[in-house]
Amino acid sequence: MADTLTKDQLLTAYQTMRTIREFEERVHKEFATGEIPGFVHLYAGEEASAAGVCLNLDERDTIASTHRGHGHCIAKGVDVGGMMAEIYGRTTGSCHGKGGSMHIADLSKGMLGANGIVGGGPPLICGTALAAKLKGTGGVGVAFFGDGGSNQGTTLESMNLASVWNLPAIFVAENNGYAESTASTWSVATDNIADRAGAFGMPGVIVDGFDFFAVHEAAREAVARAREGGGPTLIEMKFTRYFGHFEGDQQTYRAQEVAHARAELDCLKRFAAQVTADGSLSAAELAAVDGEVGILIDKAVEEAKAAPLPAPADLLTDVYVRY
Amino acid sequence: MGDAIVGVVANPLSGRDIRRLVTQATVFPTAEKASMIQRMLAAFGAVGVHRALLSTDLGGISAGVFRALGRRRPGDPPWPDVEFLDGLPIRQTAADTAAAVARMTRCGARVIVCLGGDGTARVAAAAAGDVPLLPVSTGTNNVFPVVREATIAGLAAGLVATGAVPPADALTRAKVLEVRAGGRVETALVDVAVSTQAHVAARAVWDPATLTQLFCAFAEPDAIGLSSILGQVAPVSRAQQLGVTALIQNHDPERKVVAPIAPGLVVPVGIAGVRPMTPGTAYPVLADAGVLAVDGERELTFEPGTRPAVTLRTDGPWCVDVPAVLAASARLGLLTRDQGGAHG
Repeated sequence: MADTLTKDQLLTAYQTMRTIREFEERVHKEFATGEIPGFVHLYAGEEASAAGVCLNLDERDTIASTHRGHGHCIAKGVDVGGMMAEIYGRTTGSCHGKGGSMHIADLSKGMLGANGIVGGGPPLICGTALAAKLKGTGGVGVAFFGDGGSNQGTTLESMNLASVWNLPAIFVAENNGYAESTASTWSVATDNIADRAGAFGMPGVIVDGFDFFAVHEAAREAVARAREGGGPTLIEMKFTRYFGHFEGDQQTYRAQEVAHARAELDCLKRFAAQVTADGSLSAAELAAVDGEVGILIDKAVEEAKAAPLPAPADLLTDVYVRY
Repeated sequence: MGDAIVGVVANPLSGRDIRRLVTQATVFPTAEKASMIQRMLAAFGAVGVHRALLSTDLGGISAGVFRALGRRRPGDPPWPDVEFLDGLPIRQTAADTAAAVARMTRCGARVIVCLGGDGTARVAAAAAGDVPLLPVSTGTNNVFPVVREATIAGLAAGLVATGAVPPADALTRAKVLEVRAGGRVETALVDVAVSTQAHVAARAVWDPATLTQLFCAFAEPDAIGLSSILGQVAPVSRAQQLGVTALIQNHDPERKVVAPIAPGLVVPVGIAGVRPMTPGTAYPVLADAGVLAVDGERELTFEPGTRPAVTLRTDGPWCVDVPAVLAASARLGLLTRDQGGAHG
């Protein structure tokens, strides 16, 4: 299949990646003021993965995320203002301020939630993929997880189940090199997470996670395969996260790779260079997106700070859900 | 320490690209790459190689060999001294292969064994200069590297490195295709394809509908990959001093070839205007814009006004001819030891 991204799709891709980057850079800055409760784990550097995968998805499809979930939320269309308010713990947040950064969810967008349980997403995706298969919707389920999550039994069991049931499921291993502070080169016994795919009877590929077009192309093929009944796929993205495991992480375990990645590999820089060189988009068009995103993030922070906190009585609402 | 030195560079990412997804291409395990190097070391030791220089990586290959070194016991067959070329920055890109090969040549390697696919061999060849290359297949499209048991490849590399088999009996010079696009120059060992795709993206080429033109340094009838298209209609051997080119036409072609353009992918491809390439002549790329794929991987984009051209050169890398080396060995009795026993 030819690489046929339209101009609108290219603009959407850039806008998504730029929004994620600005969102994360701003949360990094705001978290240092002490106004944001709880933990945040930032996705900056990994934008091409969320954007490249989710540009292939539509309203039929579901994703499950991780503790580092802001990028996945934005790429799947969750409202940025609601996300920021959720991180600030405000009633206007996506989950009324009760979830915080690690539990942002919006089922109306097919976003099953960020997840504080490492390896918690893949079993959920087996459920939604099974539902899509039984209902014949053509939908696919995508589980994002990290190199740490790749070692969890839940992830491995899910890949086995997805293969046994031939589910329209896609497992996206976002290998940013470290599970908290433990190097994946030490902790992942197979060296490449994608190598495990063969053991579960599915294809496994390695993708340069800094390259939007490489991610998009691999995801497009995996999504098409899943929709057409071909079964699950494992895609391993290799890249570097720009911030620590969590905000406040001193990162004594890392050397100079972040500076190198930001300078030489950055997905936004590479995307901009590629699309302006081939004339697909102009520098002015990209700058216009940058301006719009800046305004969007400013507004999200401003409104989040101004929104009310949940009242004590709200503790007793939304605790149980009737199915 | 002697100067019979062999370099071994192994690509940890070969055999892992999108063709695992879009076709049923081979998965080449890291553990097997590490085992292949150990088998080569045994062969090196058997023919008197003094030193082996090994590339390092984050994929687990050099770590596997390092662990094996620590487990060796007295009485094990001899290995040469093993030196890991650490201290180089590892980027997990093709630059790692180029840097390792360049360092091996500076350190006096007489032969460089390269584990990977066509893409890995291409990068190694560009960095090897006049040092002979022995490419061994661990990749996807394996046209240039030989599919060969590592022990045998190791014996051949060792016999050349020690000087036991002279270069005239051991080496052949490969052709290369030189691609010039704007200010960039790339070389291909097997083929150059012009694609209408806009981006390098996942690199591999598997959709003939995106192709418009093909250049081959050689095209063998039993090849896998894009060169197989012309291998069926206008075969050119590695030894012939010419290449072959054609237009890829998916609408109203002169003829169609059913070709194995990737592992597990045998598809009809329309072609026209098949003609030989003579060395030294620049053949223009006819498309205004697109992507140039070298040895089956999209490598560089070109825009209107760039006017890329492809030239066949006959001064490519020197390569170790494994069957020829072992035939010479047999002829010279290099692996035969007279035990002085009585017969008859």
